[in-house]
Amino acid sequence: MLNYTIRRLLFTIPTLLFISFIIFLLLDLAPNDPTGNLPMTITPDVREKIRESLGLGQPIHIRYFKWCVQFFVNEPLNIVEQYFDITIGQGDRLRVSSWSTRSPVGDLIAERMPQTLWVVGMSYVIGILIAVPIGVYSAYRQYSWFDQTGTFVSMVGFSVPTFFTGVLMIVIFSVYLGWFPSKYDTLHVVTDWESFVFQVRQSIMPVSVLALFNASTISRFMRASMLDNLNQDYVRTARAKGMTERIVVLVHVLRNSLIPVVTVIALGIPQVFGGAIITEQVFSINGLGALLIQGIQGADIPLVQTLTFIFAVLIVFFNLIADILYGILDPRIRYD
Amino acid sequence: MLDNTADAQKTPLVKVDNLKMYFPIYKGVFRRQVGEVKAVDDISFEIFEGETLGLVGESGCGKSSAGRAVLRLYDITDGSIVVNGHDISTSHGDNLRKLRPEMQMIFQDPQASLNPRMSVAAIIAEPLDEHQSLTKKARMERVFELMDAVGLSRDFAKRFPHEFSGGQRQRIGIARALALNPKFIVCDEPIAALDVSIQAQVVNLLEDLQDKLGLTYLFISHDLSMVRHLATRVAVMYLGKIVELAPRDLLYSDPQHPYTQALLSAVPEADPTVESSRTRIILEGDVPSPTNPPSGCNFSTRCPKVMDICKIDTPEFKQLKDGRHVACHLMK
Amino acid sequence: MRMKSILIGAAAALALAPAANAGRGDAGHVNIIYWQAASILNPFLSGGTKDVESSSMVIEPLARYDENGNMVPWLVTEIPTVANGGVSEDLTSITWKISPGILWSDGSPFTSADVVFTADYCMDETGGCQQLAKFSDVTNVEALDDLTVKVTFGKPKPFPYGPFVGGESPIIQKAQFADCMGAKAPECTEQNFGPHGTGPFRVTEFRANDVISMEANPHYRDPNKPAFATLTFKGGGDAAAAARSVLETAEFDYAWNLQIDPAILTQMAGAGKGTVVSAFGTGVERMMVNLTNPDAALGDKRSTVEGGPHPFLTDAAVRRALSIAIDRNTLAEVGYGAAGKATCNVLPAPAIYASTANDECLVQDIAKANAILDEAGWAVGSDGVRAKDGVRLSILYQTSTNAVRQDTQALVKQWWSEIGVETELKNISASVFFGGDQSSPDTFQKHFSDIEMYTNLFNGTDPEAYMNSWTCAEIPNPGNNWLGSNMPRYCNPAYDALSAELSGTADIDERARIAKAMNDMLMQEGAMIPLVHRGRVSAHSNTLGGVVLNTWDSELWNVADWTRN
Repeated sequence: MLNYTIRRLLFTIPTLLFISFIIFLLLDLAPNDPTGNLPMTITPDVREKIRESLGLGQPIHIRYFKWCVQFFVNEPLNIVEQYFDITIGQGDRLRVSSWSTRSPVGDLIAERMPQTLWVVGMSYVIGILIAVPIGVYSAYRQYSWFDQTGTFVSMVGFSVPTFFTGVLMIVIFSVYLGWFPSKYDTLHVVTDWESFVFQVRQSIMPVSVLALFNASTISRFMRASMLDNLNQDYVRTARAKGMTERIVVLVHVLRNSLIPVVTVIALGIPQVFGGAIITEQVFSINGLGALLIQGIQGADIPLVQTLTFIFAVLIVFFNLIADILYGILDPRIRYD
Repeated sequence: MLDNTADAQKTPLVKVDNLKMYFPIYKGVFRRQVGEVKAVDDISFEIFEGETLGLVGESGCGKSSAGRAVLRLYDITDGSIVVNGHDISTSHGDNLRKLRPEMQMIFQDPQASLNPRMSVAAIIAEPLDEHQSLTKKARMERVFELMDAVGLSRDFAKRFPHEFSGGQRQRIGIARALALNPKFIVCDEPIAALDVSIQAQVVNLLEDLQDKLGLTYLFISHDLSMVRHLATRVAVMYLGKIVELAPRDLLYSDPQHPYTQALLSAVPEADPTVESSRTRIILEGDVPSPTNPPSGCNFSTRCPKVMDICKIDTPEFKQLKDGRHVACHLMK
Repeated sequence: MRMKSILIGAAAALALAPAANAGRGDAGHVNIIYWQAASILNPFLSGGTKDVESSSMVIEPLARYDENGNMVPWLVTEIPTVANGGVSEDLTSITWKISPGILWSDGSPFTSADVVFTADYCMDETGGCQQLAKFSDVTNVEALDDLTVKVTFGKPKPFPYGPFVGGESPIIQKAQFADCMGAKAPECTEQNFGPHGTGPFRVTEFRANDVISMEANPHYRDPNKPAFATLTFKGGGDAAAAARSVLETAEFDYAWNLQIDPAILTQMAGAGKGTVVSAFGTGVERMMVNLTNPDAALGDKRSTVEGGPHPFLTDAAVRRALSIAIDRNTLAEVGYGAAGKATCNVLPAPAIYASTANDECLVQDIAKANAILDEAGWAVGSDGVRAKDGVRLSILYQTSTNAVRQDTQALVKQWWSEIGVETELKNISASVFFGGDQSSPDTFQKHFSDIEMYTNLFNGTDPEAYMNSWTCAEIPNPGNNWLGSNMPRYCNPAYDALSAELSGTADIDERARIAKAMNDMLMQEGAMIPLVHRGRVSAHSNTLGGVVLNTWDSELWNVADWTRN
């Protein structure tokens, strides 16, 4: 397993370099301009100067190389320096900087990570916690009213877009009932019980909107996987052994059914880091999803390049994690 | 050979009367029940302590369903099942579970019937935890004992099912079935999925265990020669019904039901002289669907000796003078 | 119930009012939402409105424009003019006198050195300063003494109020930004995110593209202001959500730029929690007529003067017909509601510059448009499209992607079909359309279409630079990398002469006469078809007092005067 992991990790290096180059090329070829969103009052020759100051005048391979040095050398060194509070070589290194904020992209990401992980991550966890029991029970009582209701709700869950459910919730719970705030306060710090309650209140709507979507998807996987296993011979064996129904379902069937579901869950984790572009927009959470979309709209190439590349790394990494998890959970799978 | 008088003296360990196992068929948007598969349709038999009842028939005749229904792995449609004096036909939940140790099953596919995520020791020990209270040490001792009994090395206890060959897996299945000292074991085609060379080993193991532990078997198989080797008495099933039930030698030497005759005519003989004179009875047509069996005798559509009455009346499952039971209008 | 709560509210307001607004910080906290979040608090590095306006609470110019477009001294004692000797007779220099006693938010004194530094900072060639146009023709900025700054221009400047006037040209602190000159400007994240200022608030926390926390500046020049101790400037979401958070849920006190369906805005305002305010500046949604030939077959000469004149848009009759076939009032009502009114001028404000000579187009007249075309010899063909000498009146009409603009396009297409003009619609993503990508054929500067539509405006009140957009020299072409603002490719020596005259005239009434004449010339020659005079719509909570919507400067220009009712 270790050899396998190391081999896979080595293979990811050329893959990721290739991906980063493709992303860079695509962003460069896109007819987009960082000065496009500036007010009309800024004159064309000033715009040209702005573009030059951003380095847009240089040829693409130089810009790509610069980005690579900044991302793969300067940023990691910077993290090491900050973490251990030391200085390596000349401390003054050029970091990957966003064009719109002129600040290091790494800092922007670090700033937005907490709210994204809290809201999107929480919705993922809650989604899973809801989905697994629903999936198990739906499969166990296939075609019962519970299963039919579950099917209907999950159809609604992944077919109704979050910008609809989100706005609907705001209109009901913020405008009419006034229970929850419609805008997420990213400056809020949890210090005591009261502030924790506020944090919960402001998270309820975005988290439930996303959790509904996540739960819909995962509960379907869970149900399908359970159905696959419920008809297996070993389940009959377990019943013939005289095991209680609880043990049959929760130990024998569930454990085997969770194998594919766990890998689906692992593969979904990069999405958590990707944030939820639309939901973040609706509730003004301003997490990573909002950062990405702002970067795209403003043609902030270094920001978009870095973010998409980090997503690519996460996707590759969690694919590996999913494969390794599969190997650990299912004794039949052996690598090497 | 058993005869009538012998039957009367022995007590049946298992007594099945008018067992019916129908599976509903749902169709359409609202999943209404549109019919049922009559997998087991009114069968009765008894199994005496220490004997092996062979249950033969072609694929799809309902023999496996019958085996599972007898062990109440299904909720049966109708009939009664008495095992070791307990009527289990209507037992449910915990009541039924408590009776499980007395009756066990060995499954056809040793790969699929073992939980892939449990080690051999865990598979064998699980029922012990459920039904007995043993110390950890005693439990392990019992697991090793069972592994010894089925000829598995104790070193394999921590391994997972996929690491074994087919024959070894079936030994695990047998050890698991024996764990709770059952009296009655349904062997559902236990050797069908195995190589021929391994089949004999497993059959011999089953015979040895029967001798040592005084087990009673319901041996379900489509392999007529294996059944002839093992069984005390043999029941022949066709389309959900038992058509003939007779002591082994009587059945093989002198089959009465036209279906039994046809079935046995397909078995090759070891003796070349007998083999050369063997005339095969070829049955025409396909087995009718169990959803919609023919009226009268189920075999009437294919029977070479069919009479008018066969298509109208269902023949009674009658006992003949020589002790065998046959369901055929030819028998008077 | 309702009456009771009103009474209680009124009683509470009475009880609290005298206490609430007595001194600095007494009104507590105020929440502002800009649905476009601020990226940076340095308007020299980002000219986005959100960035300029958010920073306007912290850093300030020497003079501002008030809600009527009049200049008011802000950090100076008076507005320099020729009359008071502040502007030299030859119009080449202006001298500002800084009010004494002004302190930066770190407590250090505000001096002329800071003003000089600000000019050097923006005029640095490598800095990419986005407000460079404010400093055009500036040759020297010098400190005569600690409180006097003299700006010298390379040529006479009849309107010398570019540098240091208005929200786009604030003063930054020399001590803080000294190491951030030129190429180092973008690396000064800490400074760019938290500039020291002379304004009523100072930054406590800045999260780029998300939220800013501010607190009252303890060194603010008026000891009783601002009334609010702390302030949150939240960004993100969309205009509708921002409107909802002020008008319906009252979570926020002020929401900026609510460009949403006017009907929805009215409905939200019906909740009674907030007030919608609007004001008109200089923005005009207009069509730019292409007077050159955009035929793709011309290759490099496409849409350039060298490519030759447009096959039919050079016919004044066609341009006039196209203009009067449009019902501008409907466009304004459907697309902009309170924030739009029909206009026939490209220079609609301030009032002294607004011409009335072109008001013919305010009323739609399809019959007359048809008559004009008939008379000009454009006959309706079998396909319902007018043609003359084999040239069909078929128009490619492009604009940026935006719901209101697409509605406008659809309406216009309908009206033009009624006068026998065929229209093909095209919309382009704003970042491409307004972007300057040389390789893209879809930029508004290339104008590879017959008619394109967008809004343009000018900051402040002086239209000189704006009106100069349509001189011959401003025509975009491959030679100048398509940099130029004369999208119609209009070139008229008479117009250029007026432009030259304007740049040599200091008298305000005389300037107004010339600017009006330029506007009328453009309108009557049909280089542009103005559609809607666009205003700004914002909303504030009914509990927030002191809001004066200003379209001539930052909307938050008087945040120091805001109070809690």
